[in-house]
Amino acid sequence: MQLFLIAVSLIFLFKVFYGSPDTFYLRLLFDLVMGISIFFLLLALIRFENSRSSSPLSLVLNIGILLAIMFFIIMFSDFLLTSIFENINLKLNNPGLVYNIVSVIYVLILVAIISFFLVTLRHFFYLNQARNTSIYFNTMLVFFILASISLNFFDDESLSFIITTFFVVSVLLMVFNSIRISWIAFLTKKEKIYLLLLSFVITTLFIVNISNSSGENIYSQIVDGFSPALKQFNQIIMIYGSIYFVILFFTTLFHLPTAEAYDRKAQEITSLQYFSKLITEVLDFNDLAETVTDITQKLSGSKASWIIWRNGTKHNSVAAKNIGFIESDRISNQILEKINFENLTSTKTFNLKDKITEGNAENLFSVVSVSPIKTRGETQGILVAAKGTGQIFTRDDLNAIETFSDYASVAIENSRLLEESIEKERLEKELDVAREIQRKILPLKAPDFPNLQIASVFIPAFEVGGDYYDFFKISESKLGFVIADVSGKGISAAFIMAEIKGIFESLSKTIERPKDILMKANEILWHALDDKSFVSAAYGYFDSKEKRLTFARAGHCPLLLLRNNDAKEIKPSGLGLGLCDVEYFNNALEEYSIDLKENDTIVLFTDGVTEAKNELLDDFGDKHFLKVLQSNINLSAEELSNKIIQEISVFSSSHEQYDDITLVIFKWQQKLKFDGE
Amino acid sequence: MAEFSTSIKENGDIRIINLKGYLDAHTAPTLENNFTELINNSKFKIIVNFEELAYISSAGLGVFMAYIENIRDNKGDIKLSNMNDKVFNIFDLLGFPLLYEIYKNEEEAIKKFSGS
Repeated sequence: MQLFLIAVSLIFLFKVFYGSPDTFYLRLLFDLVMGISIFFLLLALIRFENSRSSSPLSLVLNIGILLAIMFFIIMFSDFLLTSIFENINLKLNNPGLVYNIVSVIYVLILVAIISFFLVTLRHFFYLNQARNTSIYFNTMLVFFILASISLNFFDDESLSFIITTFFVVSVLLMVFNSIRISWIAFLTKKEKIYLLLLSFVITTLFIVNISNSSGENIYSQIVDGFSPALKQFNQIIMIYGSIYFVILFFTTLFHLPTAEAYDRKAQEITSLQYFSKLITEVLDFNDLAETVTDITQKLSGSKASWIIWRNGTKHNSVAAKNIGFIESDRISNQILEKINFENLTSTKTFNLKDKITEGNAENLFSVVSVSPIKTRGETQGILVAAKGTGQIFTRDDLNAIETFSDYASVAIENSRLLEESIEKERLEKELDVAREIQRKILPLKAPDFPNLQIASVFIPAFEVGGDYYDFFKISESKLGFVIADVSGKGISAAFIMAEIKGIFESLSKTIERPKDILMKANEILWHALDDKSFVSAAYGYFDSKEKRLTFARAGHCPLLLLRNNDAKEIKPSGLGLGLCDVEYFNNALEEYSIDLKENDTIVLFTDGVTEAKNELLDDFGDKHFLKVLQSNINLSAEELSNKIIQEISVFSSSHEQYDDITLVIFKWQQKLKFDGE
Repeated sequence: MAEFSTSIKENGDIRIINLKGYLDAHTAPTLENNFTELINNSKFKIIVNFEELAYISSAGLGVFMAYIENIRDNKGDIKLSNMNDKVFNIFDLLGFPLLYEIYKNEEEAIKKFSGS
């Protein structure tokens, strides 16, 4: 830039000292300085241009604006300058200082404008060039200079053919270089139309400016008087510009019909790129669905798009784009009448029987395309795109949608798998907590109580089942016990268990009769539990003085009494806790007492025992259970419980334990105790 | 995982829900949705047919408790029918026969609704 300024001041001084040079060498020297200054200006402009990296369209617009400015300068200079310098012809031959200043500024503006043209055209030339083609452009520039400067050398009529040759070669090179305009292919249709209009205007302006500057007006006289070579150079650049924009105009015109298709393809590629990036980043199903329908709608040029997602036996419209849920559901129903999920393996289109209008009549849907979205090898969703009357789905549309539904399948499967593993992890953590609660709630070991062998076994299921049992020492001669099973599983069951423990622990301290305790417990739980939850329980106590067992059953599995080689179910009436209000419950509840005899064995259990399953999903079963008990009636409480557990594990060895297994066995041994005393 | 499904058929103003498969904590929401839908449509006379139900867990039983109060407040009822022994046994243990009318077959249940 500094160099340019120095060169400019040289030109100025030159003008002031020599006026219009008439000797050959002076003219040559002058043009040389002129050329150098233009060269520096170009370098500065190129550097500026590269650092800005503006879009081709805005550059085109800039050219247009500059051309317009140039046009006005040429137009107005005629009478503006005439009014300042009365006689131009006189001034040309005898320039004063003022004239010199004005003409230098005038020429500088011109130089700046044509330099900008040249730089911009150069920029276009290099735009989207795969190979290094600078040789063509530079050759052209050399010929430009030659064609300009040669004016000075060959004044003679006979040698003017050399000037013409240089000029013609320059023009040929211009045409050759102007064909390199592949950059317009990457414009969108809108931009192409814009460019078409602009290039038309610009071409016109170039031609107008050429004809203006070659005429006999003041502008051309000033420039000519300043330097004929510069004038020539200016003309050449203007010709280059007009040729370039004429070619640009026609190329754009021929590109227009294919512009839309090109746009779509370009969008397809960008969408797919964007989406494949998305697959790895977005994991929320709803976000993905939104993106899928959004892109589908754009890709296929459809009016609306949504996904029919299968949820058990129901179907939902998800992520509806540009259509209300009511309308999309109505169309979905029409679709599902014709096809079902299983049979849809590729993209199909069909016309809607009943056309669906949304809002105003403009939004009419008459044709849809459907593509499967598969997860786990099954069609789980249908990607729908809908178009209006008169519109069709082209082969290209369908290919695009199909490709895209494949992508969507992968993405949704990904997100589903991740969600599953997160959910699983969450569930496992939750279950850890539940198991921990259960472990802390259950008694560590059976208590010691006179005349009673006590054995208890608890085997938790993976998903905490909500089994609970406990013993309460009521007095020296009385031992209370409870066994309960909370409905449901997992953490919620574990919390109810904790509540139950609190209730029974406190009630057993103040109330003795099992019936009263269960009635009170029901009253509390009826209010405390939600509608769906309840607890089956049995509460009772042994009285070693009275040799009696008293108990009541609130919906729990029967109590089993083994006596004289026989196993008997004892099942007094009673409803589950928290199932119904006080009146019902209290009326239904019965209390039962057993006068204990030597070696009476009492077995309490939860349904985890009888519902333990084998690989055929058969239950271990009540009968099987009773048979095992009967045939092992002489074992001790501890041995019997081991035996039962062994039988259950053999039976259900090949099936995962589904529910908690709880077993509590009491064996009444009056004699043993007497022997011990 | 064991499968569970329901189907609803109409008989006058009575709705009959057929249960099939395994009703437990994981499948209970399906039946819950059925009940919610019927109640929203003011269908309060409901028969649940257990003929094809293979198994019911405690969480499955809970579903019936959750809706009965609302239904009875609207002069309707849930009547149960066609239970196999195993399923009946589970209902019986909890004392459900005291809370619900349980019939051998659908016809009896329908008759009961028509009669009352």
